[in-house]
Amino acid sequence: MSILLEVINLHTSFFTHQGEVKAVRGLSFVLEHGEILGIVGESGSGKSVSSMSLIGLVDEPGKIIQGSVLFDGKELVGLPKKELENIRGKEISMIFQDPMTSLNPVFRIGSQIVEVIMRHTQITRVDAEKKAVDLLELVGIPEAKDRIKSYPHQFSGGMRQRAMIAMAISCDPKLLIADEPTTALDVTIQAQILELMRDLNKKLNTSVILITHDLGVVAETCDKVIVMYGGMVMENASVLELFDNPQHPYTRGLMKSVPKDVSGTRTRLEPIAGTPPDLLKPPPGCPFSPRCPHTMEICIQEAAPMFKITDTQSASCWLHHKKAPSVLNYIKTTEEVDS
Amino acid sequence: MTKKDFEFIDSSKKLDKEQIRPSLKYWEDVWRRLKKNKLAMVGIIGIVLITLTAIFGPLLTRYTYYEQRNEFINTPPVLQIYQIEEDAYIYLTKQYYLLLVTEKGELVERLEETSSNTTLRLKTYDYLGEEILINYTYKFSTDPAYKNIDFSVTYKDVETFEKTKSVLNRTYPFGSDSLGRDVMTRVMYGARISLTVALVATIVNLLIGVTYGAISGLEGGKIDNVMMRIVDIINSIPLLLYVILLMVWLNNRGLWTIIITLGSVYWVGMARLVRGQVLSLKNQEFVLAARMLGVSKTKIIYRHLVPNAMGSIIVAMTMMIPTAVFTESFLSFIGLGVSAPQASWGTLASDALGGLTNYPYQLFFPAFAIALTMLAFNFLGDGLRTALDPRLRKG
Amino acid sequence: MSSFFTYWGESNQLGNYYVKRILSALFTLFLIATITFFMMHALPGGPFSRERALPAAVEAALNAKYNLDAPLLVQYTDYMWGLIRFDLGPSFRHLGRTVQGLIATGFPISAKIGILSVLAILVFGLPLGIISALKQNRPADYMVMFLATLGVTIPSFVIATVFLYVFSGLLGWVPAFGLTKFSSYIGPVIALSGYSLSFVTRLTRSSMLEVLSQDYIRTARANGIPEWKVLYKHALKNALIPVVTYVGPMIAAVLTGSFVVERIFSIGGIGRYFVDSVGTRDYTMIMGITIFYAALYIIMVLLVDIAYSFIDPRIRLGKKMED
Repeated sequence: MSILLEVINLHTSFFTHQGEVKAVRGLSFVLEHGEILGIVGESGSGKSVSSMSLIGLVDEPGKIIQGSVLFDGKELVGLPKKELENIRGKEISMIFQDPMTSLNPVFRIGSQIVEVIMRHTQITRVDAEKKAVDLLELVGIPEAKDRIKSYPHQFSGGMRQRAMIAMAISCDPKLLIADEPTTALDVTIQAQILELMRDLNKKLNTSVILITHDLGVVAETCDKVIVMYGGMVMENASVLELFDNPQHPYTRGLMKSVPKDVSGTRTRLEPIAGTPPDLLKPPPGCPFSPRCPHTMEICIQEAAPMFKITDTQSASCWLHHKKAPSVLNYIKTTEEVDS
Repeated sequence: MTKKDFEFIDSSKKLDKEQIRPSLKYWEDVWRRLKKNKLAMVGIIGIVLITLTAIFGPLLTRYTYYEQRNEFINTPPVLQIYQIEEDAYIYLTKQYYLLLVTEKGELVERLEETSSNTTLRLKTYDYLGEEILINYTYKFSTDPAYKNIDFSVTYKDVETFEKTKSVLNRTYPFGSDSLGRDVMTRVMYGARISLTVALVATIVNLLIGVTYGAISGLEGGKIDNVMMRIVDIINSIPLLLYVILLMVWLNNRGLWTIIITLGSVYWVGMARLVRGQVLSLKNQEFVLAARMLGVSKTKIIYRHLVPNAMGSIIVAMTMMIPTAVFTESFLSFIGLGVSAPQASWGTLASDALGGLTNYPYQLFFPAFAIALTMLAFNFLGDGLRTALDPRLRKG
Repeated sequence: MSSFFTYWGESNQLGNYYVKRILSALFTLFLIATITFFMMHALPGGPFSRERALPAAVEAALNAKYNLDAPLLVQYTDYMWGLIRFDLGPSFRHLGRTVQGLIATGFPISAKIGILSVLAILVFGLPLGIISALKQNRPADYMVMFLATLGVTIPSFVIATVFLYVFSGLLGWVPAFGLTKFSSYIGPVIALSGYSLSFVTRLTRSSMLEVLSQDYIRTARANGIPEWKVLYKHALKNALIPVVTYVGPMIAAVLTGSFVVERIFSIGGIGRYFVDSVGTRDYTMIMGITIFYAALYIIMVLLVDIAYSFIDPRIRLGKKMED
């Protein structure tokens, strides 16, 4: 499998009246063809801004101030607007959280899909309309032929999200970014949407970046996971490794705060004490240090590099340094991941 | 990196890092945001100044708003005067009255006209026995040499074409009107009328509108439907028409008539607004709690719902006042407002219309007064609306 | 064209919507006319009273029209019947002329300025509002907004009188009264359109800004739709909805010419008649013109509601489909 997307040390900030809000501070990861990557984090962790930065959707007063995004070898940061517009919707597509407001209320669903198809491919209107019907069927909307004439307000939330997905995959993108696609939906619909995405991934070999705050979704759907906090990456691992052997205090905190064990043993949920950092004046050092149960002197001075745990797992935590005291299961290593 | 770097930190140290911004009380936050808006602050200052002028202005001037001096009718705020003696200057009004003026610009008296010849366009006046001749053929002359000259003054055989200087009218700073009344005093007095009408009418609108809207919103169902239908019907034609019709019908030109008329028409806007607010508030827990505790409906409205809707209500009030000022001026302008000699800005403007080309100042001062008042309130209203927008709330 | 037939297919719900609106409009008009009738009836010295001091000719005409001996109900029915046939009665003060005749003389004049004003408002107001929204918080925006704020706060009669004084009195560039040359239209149009133009600018701007912050704009951008299309197709159509709502009644108000503007510029339009008739207590004129204004206004609102249904499909079609 080859690399589709490589993000290197991405920094995105918002320059507001009150100062620079550092939303993303050093994001790096690699995504291969056909892989499903999950980005997990709380609100304010920088996960949404990261994904929008990838395709240049960050609006003023936000700006990518550092880093590079290589898509199929092509640098996306700094690309002129017109070229980005060509890529968006065709090679990289994105769907968003709230399907109720994400479709234009005054145009028909069919025409909105046709517009995207005709923007990126050279086919006739008639053919595009046929394709739109096929797409709606593909995403599981019954009576597609009639439904393309409908307006968004005539669809339910789940159907709208499916329509959005239809729009997003209409031009066979290599990468689909889904920003919390199921958060606003019922649990049953959520399961259907996730299954749809897994199907598409398998059938069309589309890579997916799935952004969510729900560990359950990650466990079900993703191949590998990035955990973000305070604009930085805390841990990067395959999905099995993450759930089996989390190597970052934040990740472990997340696991403990989520109800998981449905069978017998009852344990208390342990929320993580404290509140997310202020991105206007982020604390020096590790962003998680105020809330971490194992903070050390060095943690508040300097952010840890990404320590390599396995070929596929790394974590940004000083506990992995050989000089650090031994704490339950935190593996010591001297290898660092180059950024 | 030494071993020391890897020692665990005391947990108390960690909490320092957390930043807790002090949260502001609602009105403090609003005031803070409002202060930042320069236009709104200008508006507030303007309103304060206008109000002070309205209250104290007429008390501080030399004149009342009704006293007339026939010899000084239609004198403008700026006088072009001609010197005839060491300490005597004259000013010729557009009606060809000759006034004796001091060097500083104070009007002394009107000089008696001794003769007038309209064919030759000459007029003579008497000054302490000496004759002053005004020759105004130049006004109608096509000779380019006399393009900018309207008349000449001949005194003791010396003919002067150019004015000696321009001075401010010390007797009437804003000029005098067609009955010799001081425009400044009348404008300030007009402020009293216009502002009083606007304020009281707005309060009446407020009381009616809030009660109506709150009841409609709280009751909901059929009652709400009917009440809103009525509002819709009233709203289906411009409110100004109602006001005009009512004024014609009532045929009374007193202040209170105007206030009642305004108050009985414009409340519909407030009612709609309050109803909307109530609808969104009434399903919140504190209202349910109050109902559960058996609090009476009146109390719910006035002690729970209204205070929470205060923000929008205040904005609406601030915007209603300029509308009322405008409507009152408009009514007076078309002849339905207060009656003479009482002066509202609208009547002042209306009276001045006839002499616009000759005495523009008579119109400009009241017109600007109206415009400035409306501007001030609109700036404040805009600023308040932005300051009260919950989406922009911080802290 | 195909969209028309699709609309036709949805016509059942649409039909209901239209019928409701039309009935509502008729009802309101009926109500206004009735209120006007009863007001006229209660006026001492009005068309229905017996004590009046009018020239004999007018007396005769009035008596012929308003049958004062008949019972109230008959008078009312006669009056309403007259309205339907556009018969508004004789004028009190303009001897020998009927109200509807005078309206027919005056309205075209007002309409001329009115149409020009409406054009000015749309041609300048909409683009200025859009530009202001796109260049938000930059100098162009501040300038436009400043002018627009002045425009909505300074009353039309102030604008009119300042204009008249400066451009006619001082500079002599335009005639002082009447609608003679082309240049005599400038002042009235500016004064008449000032408020509405500024309002439309502000409204378009805030509506555009609101729409541009919506999620569906983000979706369009994410799908690679070129920016100009995002603005002028996706955003604009939504942004214009509140503007259309305003423009409808505004057209009625502007078409009838402002009373004050016509008086200041000495234009013999219907507004001028209205002001004069208020001053002279020409009751039939006052009532007739009021009903005329009201009718015009209601019709415009109705047209707007219909136009609305073509722009915003949420109004046309209510039903939601199941998942």
